[in-house]
Amino acid sequence: MFDLDLNWIAFSPALSLLLVAAMTLLIGLFQDDGRVSAAFSFIGIAFAALLNLHLFASGQVTGVYSSSFGLRFLADAPALAFNFIILIGLTLAMLMSYDYLERTGLDQSEYYPLLLLSACGAMVMVAAGDLITLLLGLEIMSLAVYVLSAWRQGARESEEAGMKYFLLGAFASAFLIYGIALTYGAAGSFVYGDIALAFLGNGFGNGFYALLGGMMILGGLGFKVALAPFHQWAPDVYTGAPTPVTAFMGVVVKTAAFGALLRVFGSFFVGLPPIVTQAFVALVVLTLIIGNFSALLQRGLKRMLAYSAVAHAGYLGLAVLASGAVGLSAAVWYLMAYTLMTAGAFAVLTLVTDNNDHGDALERLSGLGRTRPGLAAALTIFLLSLAGIPLFAGFVGKILVFQAAIQSGYVALAVLAIITSVVAVVYYVRPVAYMYFREPEYQPLDHASTSTRWAIGIAAVATVFLGLFPGLWYGLLDAGQRIVAGF
Amino acid sequence: MISLLVLAVPFLGALTAAFARSRQVARGVALFSTILTFALALFLAGDGGVSLLWLPGFNAYFELSPAGAASVLVLVAALVMIPTVLYAGAMLGERTGAFLGLLLGMQAGLNGLFLAKDLIVFYLFWEATLIPSVLMLGIWGGAQRRQAAVKYLIYAVTGSFLMLVAILALKPLSGAVSYRLDDLLLVTPNLPLTTQLWLFVGFALAFAVKLPLWPLHSWLPDFHEQNHPSGVADVAGTLYKVGGFGFFAWAMPLLPGAALAAAPVLLALAAFTALYAAMIATTQTNLKRLLAYASLSHMGIVGVGIFGLHIAGLSGAVFLLAAQMLSTGGMFLISGMLYERRRSFDLNVYGGLAKTAPALAALSLFVLFTSIGVPGLANFPGEFMSLMGSFQTESGWNLFWTGLATLSVIAAGVYGVNLYQRLYQGEASGAAPDLRSLEAVVLVPIVAGILWLGLNPAPQLQRIEVQSQVAVRELENAGKNSNLLARSDR
Repeated sequence: MFDLDLNWIAFSPALSLLLVAAMTLLIGLFQDDGRVSAAFSFIGIAFAALLNLHLFASGQVTGVYSSSFGLRFLADAPALAFNFIILIGLTLAMLMSYDYLERTGLDQSEYYPLLLLSACGAMVMVAAGDLITLLLGLEIMSLAVYVLSAWRQGARESEEAGMKYFLLGAFASAFLIYGIALTYGAAGSFVYGDIALAFLGNGFGNGFYALLGGMMILGGLGFKVALAPFHQWAPDVYTGAPTPVTAFMGVVVKTAAFGALLRVFGSFFVGLPPIVTQAFVALVVLTLIIGNFSALLQRGLKRMLAYSAVAHAGYLGLAVLASGAVGLSAAVWYLMAYTLMTAGAFAVLTLVTDNNDHGDALERLSGLGRTRPGLAAALTIFLLSLAGIPLFAGFVGKILVFQAAIQSGYVALAVLAIITSVVAVVYYVRPVAYMYFREPEYQPLDHASTSTRWAIGIAAVATVFLGLFPGLWYGLLDAGQRIVAGF
Repeated sequence: MISLLVLAVPFLGALTAAFARSRQVARGVALFSTILTFALALFLAGDGGVSLLWLPGFNAYFELSPAGAASVLVLVAALVMIPTVLYAGAMLGERTGAFLGLLLGMQAGLNGLFLAKDLIVFYLFWEATLIPSVLMLGIWGGAQRRQAAVKYLIYAVTGSFLMLVAILALKPLSGAVSYRLDDLLLVTPNLPLTTQLWLFVGFALAFAVKLPLWPLHSWLPDFHEQNHPSGVADVAGTLYKVGGFGFFAWAMPLLPGAALAAAPVLLALAAFTALYAAMIATTQTNLKRLLAYASLSHMGIVGVGIFGLHIAGLSGAVFLLAAQMLSTGGMFLISGMLYERRRSFDLNVYGGLAKTAPALAALSLFVLFTSIGVPGLANFPGEFMSLMGSFQTESGWNLFWTGLATLSVIAAGVYGVNLYQRLYQGEASGAAPDLRSLEAVVLVPIVAGILWLGLNPAPQLQRIEVQSQVAVRELENAGKNSNLLARSDR
């Protein structure tokens, strides 16, 4: 019926993660040392990064980006940019896991392959130009994360987190599948471009099914990016999961889900009635308010960061609304900054909490500026960046996103976002105040981990560097604006 | 190029001092970097500046230029920083390197703020300078430091985030090609008045918090009272009172229509601030709070000069902004020296110090006279021109408010002389050592600066006036375009 159009190179980055994951799983059968799988996994990431770079560079030079299976799997500039972010998030999560797993006794050889599999699914999601590919990617990504969030066996919070995430995740997937089915029924195709053509074509008579399908897809993806009111799982799951897994969920899963959301919004959602956009605006408003004010009430750093992840979904929502080139580059920039600072903050958290991830209460941070000056300084950088204070990457991300929203006419929404970010300053600065403005009350734990230090160092340096020279990453994006969101 | 260097030198100095292994190295590096910055700032005025694309797609340029008031403010701030760093290095027992790092970081941020000719870069420095300021208060401050820091932070951040909305909306609304001041000036003054007013409110709130203007000033007394008793952080805070500069360099030229419409209200607020703060200052029994209110009163006069919208007032206000860095900064340093002797800021424990510390008394009187506005000293030209400029009006209300602000000068005489009496005259409260050699060295640049600005203000005023003309030109055009206000006095 149609030409298979199999283009291996287009999905080689995802494929290399998959292959290494399979390999390390096999190795794990004979060799129960997690460190061996970790070493293999890093090689896999390096390969994926190189292949991704190759695709990006050749796309830049020739101006043509590759794709596979028709337009069902795209390796265009946005997909490749998202891949970079995913790989960075994955690397940081792995670095902070390396000693953490050993210390907490969670060291099992399947851990790293699962992370790789999940990241592979994330890459498929951001490359999807077709609803089935999207669904496949989402499930590959999610299944691995369900398992990972329950990784701390025997600990009630962790098991509860896994169970909760799985049940609600399955529910959300069902929403997405219904939405896909309805959309297919209305448009007769799974490919974004074809659906858009069908929706926008003359005499399109299935408006109701298209609308229903669009709403359900929005709900399903809204769950994954933790937009209120679909965010309920996030605080519990983020708190219950082992911290490196939380970091991975916070950055990679979010990047993938936003990558997918940006694509559907940029393509066939254009053909849907404006009520879908209005519904999304309502979600963003709710997310901004609920995320920020709930974070304000938290006394534990981990839970605060969980709500902060919800709040940032709201800011990213502004970029989705401002679809098109401006919104897309803003979102990609923001996600890069967000990945660095969030993963960095979680990495610091792994070093200040005990083996069960307990002891993240604000009081525990008292005087950290004296007792562990390096960690405190790094956490300060990440928190100030998350708060959107200048000189750090978060500030640039924020102005890009706000500017994109204002340019697209969402002025009131941008004002709301800025007002809520004043609230955000309060809860982000509070830990800093505890660390520096109070005397030490507790003897800090003296976990030492070279690999986690590397994760923190890389994230901190990159957060500052991107904040000072934002043109570097933005320039890369700007050059690749020829194919926007699957069109 | 020098524009970039006056940023880079303190920034690198800050990093080196903060990570220095020993206290001695940190002090040496910090002092060297402030002296080098001052030396560079002396040659700043003729510099061509820099312009680099900072954020493509967004069209924000890393553009710095010393043209206009920037060269004066950077120079005077650099002068004040030398004694401040010297004194801080001697007085802070603990974590000196980190403190000096923050102090120099503030200097770098302030220089960037003054020199920026791109609105985004201006905002960047405006906001970034807040971090060291809050950290200095929160880490080295007094018993109530946390409350003071939170109050300060919330005031400042709320104001500046609202300004950020206005900044981000300015380009799309006006259709400017970039965030450079020159590009914005081509289009933003033509925005409809309602739009201008909304945007102006965003800017004005941020600037009013930092000016500070009544009723957004309440962070200021706590800020000064709780800062480190040596007074060095207060000096840095004094340099950071840049709200007036914000109005002068950005809000008024960019949104002249709104500025014309809002000026009478702001003038009234500024005049009220000047008088109200001066009155409160006369009743204070805490030295630092008294100085805080005195400083607030001066800021009110700065505001009166600016919102009078007259070229003399504008130039005078910016000159006063520079001069008060020396006078208020000097007073805060002296307050640190007094604290060294009595371990308290309560004025009741002082008295009669002139008998045993005559040199300190003489220098204090000199700086207080500057603060009061005695002719021949730094504050006088600025204060005089600010008030004179605002009197050039036909509006009865403006005359009334400016007249009211003028009364604050008399009140300044009252609290100034009263302060001197309570500290140095009357019954001796016990012996106090006279000026130590370090303290003498610290006060030399302050005194020299006061005389330099006071006796020969013309060169600096001329530099400032170049920029005042830009504001006045935009205001006049806006006045012609609308019949809102006919400023027939010029």
